[in-house]
Amino acid sequence: MNLPRALSFATLAALGLMAKGVVAQAALEVPLAFVGEAGSSAQFGARQGLDEAIMQGEFLGQQYRLDATPDTAVAIISALPAAGLAELARQHPNTPVLNVGAADDDLRDQCTANVFHVLPSARMAHDATAQWQQAHPDSQVSAQAWHPEFEKYAAAQLNKRYTAQFKLPMDDHAWAGWAAVKLLSDTVAREQSAAPAVLLEALRERLAFDGQKGVDMSFRPNGQLRQPLLLVEAGRLVGEAPVRGVVDIEDLDSLGPSRCEAGAK
Amino acid sequence: MRRILLASVLAIAAVHAQAGDTRVFVTNESGDDVSVIDAATATVIGTIPVGKRPRGIGTAPDGSEIYVAVSGENAIAVIDPVSMKVLRKFDSGPDPETFAVHPNGNLYISNEEHAKASVFNPKTGELVAEIKVGLEPEGVAISPDGTRAIVTSESTNMLHLIAIPEHKIVANILVGARPRAAAFSADGKTAYATSEISGEVKKVDVASGKIIGKMPLADDKAKPKDILPSRDGKLLYVAGGRANRVFVLDEQSLEIQHEIPVGNRVWGLALSKDGARLYSSDGASDQVSVIDTATNKVVATVPVGKMPWGIALHE
Repeated sequence: MNLPRALSFATLAALGLMAKGVVAQAALEVPLAFVGEAGSSAQFGARQGLDEAIMQGEFLGQQYRLDATPDTAVAIISALPAAGLAELARQHPNTPVLNVGAADDDLRDQCTANVFHVLPSARMAHDATAQWQQAHPDSQVSAQAWHPEFEKYAAAQLNKRYTAQFKLPMDDHAWAGWAAVKLLSDTVAREQSAAPAVLLEALRERLAFDGQKGVDMSFRPNGQLRQPLLLVEAGRLVGEAPVRGVVDIEDLDSLGPSRCEAGAK
Repeated sequence: MRRILLASVLAIAAVHAQAGDTRVFVTNESGDDVSVIDAATATVIGTIPVGKRPRGIGTAPDGSEIYVAVSGENAIAVIDPVSMKVLRKFDSGPDPETFAVHPNGNLYISNEEHAKASVFNPKTGELVAEIKVGLEPEGVAISPDGTRAIVTSESTNMLHLIAIPEHKIVANILVGARPRAAAFSADGKTAYATSEISGEVKKVDVASGKIIGKMPLADDKAKPKDILPSRDGKLLYVAGGRANRVFVLDEQSLEIQHEIPVGNRVWGLALSKDGARLYSSDGASDQVSVIDTATNKVVATVPVGKMPWGIALHE
């Protein structure tokens, strides 16, 4: 007697939910993992990205979280050094792993199929500096992914949002953490799927991400995110690379290699 | 008899010309002022200081007032188009970027840093409603019948379709990266939007909230901003940003029909009521271009203030 009653109750409950459209419109769950130091700027950046992803998801029907384990996540954000990142990618070969912590050129040369480097490589920074010095031979610049004084292309808005929340200037790792979550949420929204295999393919093939640096960004064959770099001298923002007058400013591939090294998988 | 008739015709023409004088109001984002152009002579006849970082601009439905979003002061300035004086300012909520004027006179304002749109009555300065939207809301458009608004959110890549007067979002439409401006067709059935980073134009069916057409503007540098349909609805005018051109698209196919070279970083557009003149604000050239829409040629360029942003007409 109890069993049929329980069943009919469940059936009625299900019908009720369907009548309200709750079942049909169930939000797509998007569990993400962050692997790295708690309290690091990479983690803060990822949390900023999470807030923005949650906001987009409220409009478009996705639910994001950043507290999944690598085993349960649909994508992993890694702020680990090179060795840790490589191991993480080996352990989770079917899950996109977004590198926001390691600038090592070797990692790019390895062309690991599931690794996406959001942080610029050392070689990209080197090329950006060299371009700048061609135009300004005496300058002592370094190249960065981001700068807290960057204002163009709504960079000022992103800097403000981040600093308002974390009371810190946004640095390279914070930008990379933010960009990693944001480019994932953009991809999930466009694909209407959070399946790791779909994300892997879409990130490789179809990304056109607005990283608030004025251009749409995509991944190179070696997994590196194409992006402009910022040139900084004595702590102050002095320019952008690709450097105008030295190369075509649209040519993001003038910064660092694009292809996989021969022999790498 | 004939002479009298001619004289009266001339008199009527003179009166008409005066009453019909068109003034073009242009916000100068870096100049903190508004330039006023006499359309007949294509010369600046006044400069109105309005406050820090003026961007969005619009005309009251009855033409009695010009409104300016003074972004740096969180305010809307109200200008008398005849005397060219600031009549008053009212608090608009934080960082008003731009707005659209509803047929009932209310302003629908995008508050860029607060992820919301707010509705103000500009006569009283009263906040009528607030609508939560995505990050970095920018472009605002209102359907001619006043029942729908579109607010673009630049950093969440959406067009929010909002029902009026309920002020509820009825559709969120994902578009290319960094949607900046939107416009409705005259019948309100179709909407158009530009995406700056993806460099494309999208066409939306308003009833279903679905994208029914899209067209990249070929040129990578395009970064389009303002978009407007022609008065007959057959063409779309798109400010090409860094392409330094105004694109003229076929409304049906979205194919580019003409490219009109203007000044650098063209952002703002406004069209005369009769559709004969199109004005563009060429931000990096500190000028306004006047385009004859019959020939798709620039017939005058008018130097204005620093970094002209938005344009509104008083006809």
